[in-house]
Amino acid sequence: MRLFEVEALTVGITGSPFPILREVSFYVEPGEVLALVGESGSGKTMTALAAMGLLPFGIEMTGGDVRLEGDSLVRTGGTVERSAAQMSMIFQHPTSALNPTMRVGHQVGRVIQINQRLGRTQSLEAAVELLKHVGIPGAKRVARNFPHQLSGGMCQRVMIAMAVACQPRLLIADEPTTALDVTVQAQIFDLIKSLVSEIGCGVLFITHDLGAVAEMADRVAVMYGGQVMEESPVRDLLAEPRHPYTRYLLESVVREVDHRVEDIGVDFALTGCRFGHRCPYVHEKCNGFPPLVEISPSRRVSCFLKTEELR
Amino acid sequence: MTLLECRNIHKTYGHGVATVPAVRGVDMQLERGETLGLVGESGCGKTTLGRVIVGLNAPTSGKVVFDGEDVSGRLHEPEFRRRVQMVFQHPQSSLNPKFRVSTTLREPAILLTSMRNEELGQQIEQTLRLVGLGIEYQTRKPKQLSGGQLQRVAIARALMSSPDLIVLDEPTSSLDQSIRSRIIALLKDIQERRQVSYLFISHDLSTVRKIAHRVAVMYLGRIVEVSETEALFNDPQHPYTQALLSAVPSIDPDDRSERIILRGETPSPTALPVGCSFQDRCELVHARCRVEAPLLQETGPARHVECFAVQ
Amino acid sequence: MTGEGIADPGELPPARFVVDRVHVTEEKSRTRRALSFMRSNPLFSIGLGLLIAFVGMAIIGPFLVGDPLLTNPAGMFSPPSADHWFGTDEYGRDVFARSVNAARLDLSIGLAIALVAMTIGSTIGVVSGYFGGRTDEIIMRLTDILLAFPGFVLALIIVAALAESLLNVVMAVAAAYVPYFIRLTRAQALVEREKEYVDAARLAGNRPLRVAFRHVMPNSLGPALVSATLVTGWAVLTVAGLAFLSVGIQPPTAEWGVMVGEGAGDIITGEWWTSLFPGGMIVLAVMAFHFIGDDLTESRT
Repeated sequence: MRLFEVEALTVGITGSPFPILREVSFYVEPGEVLALVGESGSGKTMTALAAMGLLPFGIEMTGGDVRLEGDSLVRTGGTVERSAAQMSMIFQHPTSALNPTMRVGHQVGRVIQINQRLGRTQSLEAAVELLKHVGIPGAKRVARNFPHQLSGGMCQRVMIAMAVACQPRLLIADEPTTALDVTVQAQIFDLIKSLVSEIGCGVLFITHDLGAVAEMADRVAVMYGGQVMEESPVRDLLAEPRHPYTRYLLESVVREVDHRVEDIGVDFALTGCRFGHRCPYVHEKCNGFPPLVEISPSRRVSCFLKTEELR
Repeated sequence: MTLLECRNIHKTYGHGVATVPAVRGVDMQLERGETLGLVGESGCGKTTLGRVIVGLNAPTSGKVVFDGEDVSGRLHEPEFRRRVQMVFQHPQSSLNPKFRVSTTLREPAILLTSMRNEELGQQIEQTLRLVGLGIEYQTRKPKQLSGGQLQRVAIARALMSSPDLIVLDEPTSSLDQSIRSRIIALLKDIQERRQVSYLFISHDLSTVRKIAHRVAVMYLGRIVEVSETEALFNDPQHPYTQALLSAVPSIDPDDRSERIILRGETPSPTALPVGCSFQDRCELVHARCRVEAPLLQETGPARHVECFAVQ
Repeated sequence: MTGEGIADPGELPPARFVVDRVHVTEEKSRTRRALSFMRSNPLFSIGLGLLIAFVGMAIIGPFLVGDPLLTNPAGMFSPPSADHWFGTDEYGRDVFARSVNAARLDLSIGLAIALVAMTIGSTIGVVSGYFGGRTDEIIMRLTDILLAFPGFVLALIIVAALAESLLNVVMAVAAAYVPYFIRLTRAQALVEREKEYVDAARLAGNRPLRVAFRHVMPNSLGPALVSATLVTGWAVLTVAGLAFLSVGIQPPTAEWGVMVGEGAGDIITGEWWTSLFPGGMIVLAVMAFHFIGDDLTESRT
């Protein structure tokens, strides 16, 4: 059974017939890291928020299903319900995701207190242990600090401690290192990897950085314009990208190609393939929505080109 | 021929007891037509150094020598101003939101050159074309442009006075990957046509590798290693450079060389240890590093490293 | 040099792809849109309605009503009636004609005060905020001193010290509001001066004063412009208040404050209309500017 599965998730602005996310599907196996990769505006963060039941006001889920260990989390009216022990999230800006008026030890302690029904002192002790565990030197002293007294890397470690405090089944990491320096990023990746193998949870890793994908993920889903373009094991994707958009994305990282295509599309095609107006292979058919089709047992591509044409 | 020379530059912020040394004795040369990459993590002083070089900040001590003349802190020296320009990190805020593109471009030409009327109009059109924008962009306001287009306008503004040196402070960090590659290609193209030198400040090593002829690595206000680009990337000598390079995630799945995960955090610049500032995080540390600070010394052709272990 | 750089995507021929352009917003009739806007911004709508009415009154009103200074000893203190909507005062002057004529004077004075105060205050504010240091220190201390006096009292002192003329009233009341605009603009200039375009302007060869006035000032005026609406309302109140105390504008000028002052004594003898109607005008006018200004301030934050 798959740990976490999103199926044909469709999200739109309330009252507008045009979706922001269109039939987004992917899954995460236990102990696996799935990377959701895309440029800014591709809908990767919106997908995570929808899966967490944290959609902003005025945006609603209009279709699809979100399942954790086979149980649907979607309730009537399109709301998603989940508990902290099931899924937790790490955000992009650790310093602003923490409460600036609370000592970090207490913030971690609160999570433990609520979810494990421990007393205040006990949970604070557990919090210090946890901070030690996520590699914070002098955890006891740091626990009494406020977030502004800590560096970005330290704050992210605190966030991670909070996220893993109740041993979640799924960890969602939304650009966890974008605001950090590379050497700190390496430290954080190292930490996430070791925690994941320890807890055995699945990870939904959201990023725009293909290097981070290669580093962290087992499988990858490439998003563009609110649509999953390609889903594949990382190795295969990096070696042989199949979808025209994936190829374009990879090329822009590897070489300085002079792409004769438009900037991030503001002018999304509303009914057809979202990559249509930038795609060199576009044809009549692309006015319709291309479903995610299996091209090999482990790979799915959302494109009307035939499997042999996608090579 | 040396275009720019920094001689033992120090820059300290604040006064009295609360001083923060941002740059601590930097020596550096930049040749005509050359691109020097200046890399380092946040807080290492690279932006401060850039601002001291263009004259926005005066050095606390030391000299900036441009084309044989001491220009330290002389922001309004006319000839220096015309010949040294800068492009900033955030295209959204580096253009005056009330000005049309043509007004933004006209200003440096009017104030710094003798160009007027028709000649000025031609120069504006020519420069816009050079940065890959059509002349119809003249009448746009910043709000109507995308991030990539804004940065092109900012580059055009820097080019209007036909400078010999442009300091580029993280010009691509706030842009998406695909647009980033285009801006890099554009900058190289401009350099070929105009023989302008660049000081390219960035924390993104892969971008620096694409554009720089030589690279200087900064750590805590000092240049710890400077070398030709490929030599530096293929054979980093300073332990910090090694850690920095190894921390960059690679998209090549076969490149799984051992990551060097640095211990702890960058020490605060207000509480630096005696001796080498990298000592507490260094694998090669020995007794001498704790008492004496190493200086930048030649270790090979066109290569300087600031480390006793290498020297 | 004739060649072109690496083209921006914006230059490329239009995409071959067929893009369906669909109007996402429902087509609504203009009246329905206006109605729904008014429903969601009731105070702003009331304020705007009142303001339109006052501006109309100020512009065309004086042509429609009678002479505000025409006395009629035979018709003293006649209560509101079909002939004299707001009644007449102790000299038999028509209170309605006087109130309408006063709208022109009061609104122009209010507006003039707000403009003068904003121009002077913002200029000083930008200098203070952009240059900082000693200059800022001195300006802020002087501002503090001025702010220590309530605006009304300050205006009272200044008008009393100067010769009584309309111009002096405008200057005095404007002076009372200058510190307010200095503070507002200074705060915004402090934000703006940290932005990269200011450094870019310095590098483009702009001297400090030119950076301050050509680059920083236009971008720092937003809060001051919005608050000018509020200040216009307050200024109307201040001018009327001064006139009520017989400072500044003098009888027999048709001015709301003068009228309230003259009519105040009549209330005890039962002639309430001579002061109530001009007083009501002041309330409505101040309300109009306040509702609009308040809404604009809120929508900025």
